[in-house]
Amino acid sequence: MNGRIGIGMMVVALLATPAQAQTASVEGLDALLREVQSAAAEGRTLNREREARFLRDKNEQAAMLREAEADKRKADARIATVRQRFEAQQREVQALKTQLRDNVGELDQMYAGIRQAAGDLRALAADSLITAQNPTRLELLDQLASGRELPGIPELEQLWVTLLEQMTESGRSVRFEAPIVNAEGLSRTAEVVRVGTFTAFADGEYLVLDEQARLVALPRQPSRSLRGLAADFSETQQGAAPVLIDPSRGALLSVEADKPDLLERVQQGGAVGYVILVLGLIGVLIAVGQLLYLIRTGSRMRRQAGQLDQPRQDNPLGRVLATFRDDAGGDDDPELLELRLSEAVLRETPSIERAQSILKLFAAVAPLLGLLGTVTGMIATFQAITVFGTGDPKLMAGGISQALVTTVLGLVVAIPLLFVNSLLNGRSRVLIQVLDEQSAVLLAQRLEGRRD
Amino acid sequence: MTEWWLEPYRSLTSFLDTGGWVLNWIFAAAVVLWMLILERLWFFWRVLPRVEGRVRSHWFQRPERRSFGARRVRGALLGRVNLLMNQTLPTIQVLIAICPLLGLLGTVTGMIEVFDVMAVKGTADARAMAAGVSRATVPTMAGMVVGLSGLFFINRFQSRVRVEAERFGDTLSVSEQPA
Repeated sequence: MNGRIGIGMMVVALLATPAQAQTASVEGLDALLREVQSAAAEGRTLNREREARFLRDKNEQAAMLREAEADKRKADARIATVRQRFEAQQREVQALKTQLRDNVGELDQMYAGIRQAAGDLRALAADSLITAQNPTRLELLDQLASGRELPGIPELEQLWVTLLEQMTESGRSVRFEAPIVNAEGLSRTAEVVRVGTFTAFADGEYLVLDEQARLVALPRQPSRSLRGLAADFSETQQGAAPVLIDPSRGALLSVEADKPDLLERVQQGGAVGYVILVLGLIGVLIAVGQLLYLIRTGSRMRRQAGQLDQPRQDNPLGRVLATFRDDAGGDDDPELLELRLSEAVLRETPSIERAQSILKLFAAVAPLLGLLGTVTGMIATFQAITVFGTGDPKLMAGGISQALVTTVLGLVVAIPLLFVNSLLNGRSRVLIQVLDEQSAVLLAQRLEGRRD
Repeated sequence: MTEWWLEPYRSLTSFLDTGGWVLNWIFAAAVVLWMLILERLWFFWRVLPRVEGRVRSHWFQRPERRSFGARRVRGALLGRVNLLMNQTLPTIQVLIAICPLLGLLGTVTGMIEVFDVMAVKGTADARAMAAGVSRATVPTMAGMVVGLSGLFFINRFQSRVRVEAERFGDTLSVSEQPA
């Protein structure tokens, strides 16, 4: 290649410079020939080397191919053996499965039955007071009900014993030590008395089961008499004693505990309820004040009636007497005298009949206010129903029972006010009658005395 | 164990139990009302004639019965008798007015109980509500019965007082001769 280009270049050089070629022609050509010959020889040796290398490579490739084919054959053989083993084991598994099915047979149904029985008993035991006495029952029942492993004979026997225990214990009253949780959430151990599956109490406090089957003291205990009943029953060592039985197994007691007490009820009445109560309070204060005034006045008047000749200014009768005596020097016209007397009596009546009209008003207004509170409460309840729908009767019932509280308050205030008012009315009429009577007697004495 | 003479007491206590605490108040009001009514009956039958006799003799012992002063005294005497006749009538009237109110109070408290049960149980369980319903209805009935029973008597007494006042006024004549 190089030589050829060299020759080409040479030819071009010769064509371009004929003058130069003429001068250096002889040695240049010889050198060129030698050069070309040596280059050709060099090319041949290179070619030989290349061929030799190629041959060597080719042999190596063939050896590698042979190796790879041998590997593949080995792997194929291994696959075949493994597949054979896999199929054999599959057949074995199938055979074992059929064997298992044959062996289990009717036991399968029995285990399902045991699972169901254990589940039912678990639900029953979870809210049964007997569990509080023996808390380990639930673990066994959970294990049986889950059905993760086949129960053995001992577990089956324990299930049977638990069922029997539940039956026999529900008919007995038992005393046992157990942890109880009080209203503050603190746990302590106490002596619990359990009556069947119905009620349990400790230290005169009624207990109910919570979700974790722990005994919890009711946050709001039933009435004092019922607590006393429980305490007495706990102290009774033998014989029979009366006791509270909750046939709903604690549900009724919980309902009792959820009921609001008197103060909470009053708070349910809201603003209207407080207005009614304030009204009642004012009315009662006015009535009591007036009643005391009338009692005092009555006793003073009775004292005065015994001493008609010494009129005192601290009671109505005395004042009437005084006015009567003051115009002793006046004219003796009986008509005029009577007029003066009746005037004097009239002056005294307002203070005696005070407070009755306002009490009547209060007694009339209190039930009306109660009605107002009830109606507004109902409106609120029905608005809640408009928003939330009637899906929840609790919402409606709670609202209505709250709304009715104000009516109760109104009546509770009105009834005593009516009563007190009639009391005041009676007393004041007696006093005024006494005034009238005494003044008439005075008049008669005066006129008759003058005629004598 | 059941003695026959305890039977009325037992039935009464069980009746009071069905009505709740308001029924006890109605019962107390009924007892007071009937004591007052019986007292008035006794008064009109036995006491009033004696009182009238005393007042009449007092009147006819007077030296004269025609003057202005004497007529005033007569008015006072009549007033005193009137007051005696009317002594407990306002109380009876108030009791009669209160009985239906108490019944209403019982109704409302009973209804609150019914709705409380509904609020707790969330269902209209008739068996759970029965106690509240009986507490709502029994006091109403009792209050009505007691009030109505008194109403008849209070009307009788009021007309009796009117007639008696007229009649007695006529017997205290202002003539010089005892009638």
